[in-house]
Amino acid sequence: MTFSEIERLGAAVGEADEAFHMDEDAFRVFYERTARPVWAYLSRMTGDARLADDLLQETYYRFLRAGGTHESDAHRRNYLFRIATNLVHDHRRRPRADRVEMTEQIEAADARLDSNAAHIAERTVRRLDLARAMGRLKPRERDMLWLAYANGSSHQEIADALGLKRASIKLLLFRARRRLANLLRDSGA
Amino acid sequence: MECVREHDIVDAVASGRWPHACDPSLAAHAAECDICRDVVTVAVALRDDAFDARHEARLPSAGLVWWRATIRARAEASRVAERPLTVAQGIAGACAVGLAFGLAGFAWQSVQRFERLGEILAGLDASTLQFASSSASILQRALPLVLGLGACLLIAPIAVYLVLSDD
Repeated sequence: MTFSEIERLGAAVGEADEAFHMDEDAFRVFYERTARPVWAYLSRMTGDARLADDLLQETYYRFLRAGGTHESDAHRRNYLFRIATNLVHDHRRRPRADRVEMTEQIEAADARLDSNAAHIAERTVRRLDLARAMGRLKPRERDMLWLAYANGSSHQEIADALGLKRASIKLLLFRARRRLANLLRDSGA
Repeated sequence: MECVREHDIVDAVASGRWPHACDPSLAAHAAECDICRDVVTVAVALRDDAFDARHEARLPSAGLVWWRATIRARAEASRVAERPLTVAQGIAGACAVGLAFGLAGFAWQSVQRFERLGEILAGLDASTLQFASSSASILQRALPLVLGLGACLLIAPIAVYLVLSDD
């Protein structure tokens, strides 16, 4: 490698540091506030906790590289969920062979949550019912319901995250909610 | 499709007030209204699941996520910076190969001419003058071959440097 090449690469490395639109301190604050809900979303939408770990890193990387200005913290948060949603969609397009079903991981996760055996059993049954019911919904319905009721997102925020029109959210959410409620009632949850 | 009290129920579920700490009229309404009953069923199930999910998360630290992102950005920046060099090296390599083939073809033609000269020489008289004239002719015709080989000797190290310089 010649000296001029080394100089060019050195300049490229310097540019990489400047490629993020946020400094490290601001990122830490933002991450502490958003990482858990994002991980929960990724974990439940992919059904794979390990994959959620990888996608979490990818989500924040893409967020940092994306650039642009955000009007508010809520806007920034919506944008983060939009990236996460796109990553989940990309994952769904891949072949099923490398996926792990959500229900396979529930018992292991619950064992860490609580030492009360009866509570664990009840929680496990409830989560299995929910996982099965969610599994029978369309991916977009799952995303929408999670954002609305687990994340507390508004219709506008859901529309932004999923790339849909705000006006259509009310009807789509109503249908998805009705389907999930019927599935949960049928399973006895 | 939408109930006027739907948002009150969602707020009560999200804030943990549902069902015991909320307005009793809201609970009574939810028991009667189909839409709100669905909202309660779904919102409670998803709230509990979200609570579990957030607590089972084993998150990497913000510093680690930042560091990994920085390393990856640098790697990508290096790759982008190297791309024109790789292209230039590829072009140089292709030029060197083309030149080598061109010189080889030229040399082959010269060798063929040289063989024809040998046949001519065999038909010549053995006189000294004729022999000297023939030698001069041979040297004149072999000159391009010698020049070609010399050029190869000069160009080959440069081409090798350009192709292998990324090591």
